Amino acid sequence: MPMNRDDSASHSAVQGPPIKIRARDINVYYGEKQALFDVAIDIPEKAVTSFIGPSGCGKSTFLRCMNRMNDTIPICRVTGSIEMDGEDVNAKSIDPVVLRARVGMVFQKPNPFPKSIYENVAYGPRIHGLATGKDELDAIVESSLRRAGLWDEVSDRLLQPGTGLSGGQQQRLVIARAIAVGPEVILMDEPCSALDPIATAKIEELIDELREQFCIVIVTHSMAQAARVSQRTAFFHMGRLVESGPTDEIFTNPRDSRTQDYITGRFG
Amino acid sequence: MTQHTVKAYGDELNHLTAEVARMGGLAEAQVVDSIVCITRRDVNLAQNIIAHDDKLDQMQIDIERKAIKLIALRQPVAQDLRRTVAAMKISSNLERCGDLAKNIAKRALVVSEAEPMTPLTRSIERMGHLVTGRLKDVLDAYTSSNVNRAVGVWWRDEEVDEHYNSLFRELLTYMMADPRTITSCAHLLFVAKNLERIGDHATNIAEIIHFELTGEDMITDRPKHSDLQS
Ligand SMILES: Nc1ncnc2c1ncn2[C@@H]1O[C@H](COP(=O)(O)OP(=O)(O)OP(=O)(O)O)[C@@H](O)[C@H]1O
Ligand SMILES: [Mg+2]
Repeated sequence: MPMNRDDSASHSAVQGPPIKIRARDINVYYGEKQALFDVAIDIPEKAVTSFIGPSGCGKSTFLRCMNRMNDTIPICRVTGSIEMDGEDVNAKSIDPVVLRARVGMVFQKPNPFPKSIYENVAYGPRIHGLATGKDELDAIVESSLRRAGLWDEVSDRLLQPGTGLSGGQQQRLVIARAIAVGPEVILMDEPCSALDPIATAKIEELIDELREQFCIVIVTHSMAQAARVSQRTAFFHMGRLVESGPTDEIFTNPRDSRTQDYITGRFG
Repeated sequence: MTQHTVKAYGDELNHLTAEVARMGGLAEAQVVDSIVCITRRDVNLAQNIIAHDDKLDQMQIDIERKAIKLIALRQPVAQDLRRTVAAMKISSNLERCGDLAKNIAKRALVVSEAEPMTPLTRSIERMGHLVTGRLKDVLDAYTSSNVNRAVGVWWRDEEVDEHYNSLFRELLTYMMADPRTITSCAHLLFVAKNLERIGDHATNIAEIIHFELTGEDMITDRPKHSDLQS
């Protein structure tokens, strides 16, 4: 049984933030090999939740369950239920393409399209028909770049290729691209692992601003980053969710000895 | 507990705890000696205590520096962080115990020049034993990471207060009966007050140990009697 502090009696009186994503009994298999075991977690709205745990414990696998990216891996099989605002994301009626616009994803390596900065951001809104004319599209591009904290650095070279930006700028461009389609959830898989400390600080600052509007889930190998940016932390180990709860509690007083050993650097 | 992957980090934490334990041993000895110099009127011992207090101050500064360095360089979390912070807090409580012992020693110098007041010093001695017993127990709890032992010390907090209150009444009786004893009695009253404070530091240390080991605060509904007389 994973420990969830909010289930405990002492917390039951406290009204938590509304739940955006509710996952239950999630089991994931790659062919014969099981990668996740009975994962159950509630992910709150307008907050940052971090997933931590040793390499190979299933963080990315679980992240991909939330926007059905695992569908694109032929040998991957997912059972259990994931609800977003009470709606089953695996239901037949859900179009995975629409789902992925609602649940945006940012990866470890910045992956801008080999197109202009403008096109990188405009692409999504255009294919989803979010803008009726050039002016509207321009407005979406500008506001997305502004919210991603990149506008001032690129406003004079919007037509230059996105791949010409620095790593940190590319990562913010990718975030702008994700924001442009008006998502509800943003998943980030080690978004800062290829960035220097200053670029990392900018992304962290951005995450902190974005959480006022979005439900954000971030996978990170940096304990300090999890502590800095997230309000809730979930610790995975060998395919199981071991413990989840408020970040400050996980980092001052973890309940499970495996969490304790991991965050204090006692096993790898 | 499992070893740290970075061994030097684990060593530094262990070293910090060992230093605090060593400081605790010295502080306890200073307190024990301060009571002896009151009861035996031992002026040499009193001067010795006063001279030794620097050592405790130095140890406290040292522990604090090491802890700050560890926080800066290793960024401890969870029980490691609690352990580091506990070391800092306990050392500052011990440093205060040392100051109080020094103050008792200074008063012993004055009291030793007046006529002996045997029954009174007996009462001080009994209170002193109680307090040093608590200090010893709480330091044992620290070195053995024994939370129950720390809680035990915490529960016995009241005994010292009761002792202090009865000693206070006893001193009043003496002062009223023979005003020539007022100077000595006043000093002894401060000695008793200092002992009571040392007892409070033992209680603080018990609370710190509890938080260090469990991550939870000690439940705070211990019956507390009136502070009117103190
Ligand atoms: N496409 C795949 N095909 C087969 N097995 C996979 C695939 N992706 C992941 N796995 C396996 O599933 C398990 C969980 O992998 P996952 O990538 O989710 O871990 P992770 O926690 O994200 O690790 P890391 O921190 O290294 O990114 C691993 O044993 C991995 O080998
Ligand atoms: Mg991964």
